[in-house]
Amino acid sequence: MTEALIGFFAVLILVLIRVPIAFAMGFVGMIGFMLETSFRASISMVARLIIDTAQDYGLSVVPLFILMGLFVNKGGISRELYAASNAFLGHLRGGLAMATIVACGGFSAISGSSLATAATMAKVAMPEMRRFKYEDSLSTASIAAGGTLGILIPPSVILVIYGLLTETSIGKLFIAGVVPGILGILLYLCAVRFSVWRKPEAGPAGPKSSWSERNTALRNVWAVLLLFFLVIGGLYGLFDFHPLNLSFSPTEAAGMGAMGAFLIALARRRLSFRDTYEVLLETATTAAGLFAVLIGAWIFSNFVNMAGLPNALRDLVTTYNLEPWQVMAVILLIYIILGCVFESLSMLLLTVPIFFPLVTSLGYDPVWFGIIVVVVTEISLITPPVGLNVFVLKGVVGNVTTATVFRGVTPFWLVDIIRLALLLTFPALALYLPAQM
Amino acid sequence: MPVLRLFIHLPQIMAATALFCLMVMTFADVVLRSVFNAPIEVSADMTRVLMAITVFSVLPVMSAKGAHISVDLLESTIKRFNLMRLSDVLVSLFCGAILILPAKRVFDLAERSRSYGDVMEYLGIPLFYIGWFISVMTAITALALIFRGVVLIFRPSMSEILK
Repeated sequence: MTEALIGFFAVLILVLIRVPIAFAMGFVGMIGFMLETSFRASISMVARLIIDTAQDYGLSVVPLFILMGLFVNKGGISRELYAASNAFLGHLRGGLAMATIVACGGFSAISGSSLATAATMAKVAMPEMRRFKYEDSLSTASIAAGGTLGILIPPSVILVIYGLLTETSIGKLFIAGVVPGILGILLYLCAVRFSVWRKPEAGPAGPKSSWSERNTALRNVWAVLLLFFLVIGGLYGLFDFHPLNLSFSPTEAAGMGAMGAFLIALARRRLSFRDTYEVLLETATTAAGLFAVLIGAWIFSNFVNMAGLPNALRDLVTTYNLEPWQVMAVILLIYIILGCVFESLSMLLLTVPIFFPLVTSLGYDPVWFGIIVVVVTEISLITPPVGLNVFVLKGVVGNVTTATVFRGVTPFWLVDIIRLALLLTFPALALYLPAQM
Repeated sequence: MPVLRLFIHLPQIMAATALFCLMVMTFADVVLRSVFNAPIEVSADMTRVLMAITVFSVLPVMSAKGAHISVDLLESTIKRFNLMRLSDVLVSLFCGAILILPAKRVFDLAERSRSYGDVMEYLGIPLFYIGWFISVMTAITALALIFRGVVLIFRPSMSEILK
């Protein structure tokens, strides 16, 4: 156990002096494995992982889902989603902020990344909210919080990485994210209402849209909503009946989604040859980064297992006679603390190899734990001092201080804690849907 | 430097093409399977080949650009002490160095698989081709990282091309 802990701190130090995570985890894992076994065995383990990861069929879902998000984005969907939710909510007090939350939720259904969701929606929603004299603290907070939904509402890169690291079904993880994601939207809407109830001038009501305007706005987004329905429905097995017989593996769902998004963008004439090339290249680069990181995490996790950390932790639990819920409370506390300083993917990579074996041995459901980890990570995205979404937002919006955003974010942060508590108390919120698959 | 430019662009074009093929093939496979009950038999093998090409083609260039996922928590501190360049150099050289042995071992494993005569299940392609490709690309990635470090030491003005 000592070896594993030393390894963990070695990774932390390397990562902090700006060694890329993949290399930090890979290097420490390789050296550690070498000390536990032999030089030859260790290098072979690493080489084998590189070969296997490069041609792992299941991993192809990573680039395909990223591709889907980027294509849909090129099609200009963020603006249209915002216009559509605005047409329905804009006339309420705080309505534009509520529309931002709903549009973020919609965008999350195509994009797998929270940072991308926050950055994209900021460009669309911020000018509009400024035009209607919304206070910066409310408008930026609603974007930062809404953006966190990106990693929970499927497809989600973080859930994919979790699924791959722990050999949990990616399809089930995605479906399990649906209800908590919708719950997140609803609670964030309450947070907006609470903010404008406390301070009505923070979010004045906009003009009411007519039904014909609403219809036009909806017409612009139906294709993308249909695409989402097709991809997630296909994954869930919704169309698996005669004569359609359509049921997708995650890779197939991602491929259908990417192709569908490509066709939609093409049909809207928003995609030149050059755009297509750039999107493909950006996807490949992002995927390469994620693959590197996965290989590194696997090497590290092989070392941790070889060093007997999971067993040692289990012994610890038995020795001190800890109840499962106490262990879970400690783990969540660690996540929230780490989340204050670490960005979501790094946190996931560093902690899951260590906690996952312990959590499952205590009888917790791996799918449920995945959702919990993602919700905690979401909270960390808007927690000071290093709420990453807040910084992304500051980068896009410019003239607003981090303190302003963090002040506005407090109600959103509180409802996030409520959501976490609900999921802890009622695991069925996450697990009911995947159990029907 | 046209040669350098070719080195940068060719693998990127390869990656983009492979990824596009992967997308179209996955789509076609699902449609053919559900509508005509005629799945593409080789699709699983093709997926694996295309994935390896997509990811490992861009790895050297993205590594040379320093685009790996990293934590920038202490970046402002490092900047304040004017140590950014030094830390970039050391990190690049370190990352390049630790990749050399694994790259060599990947090649050995490919050679071993060649001696066994392993082939892909449906495509029939010998597995060692992919092994060779991966090992060569890993080795180039190691060199690219070391190159990045060296450029940052001696010709920081040239580091524009590394962006």
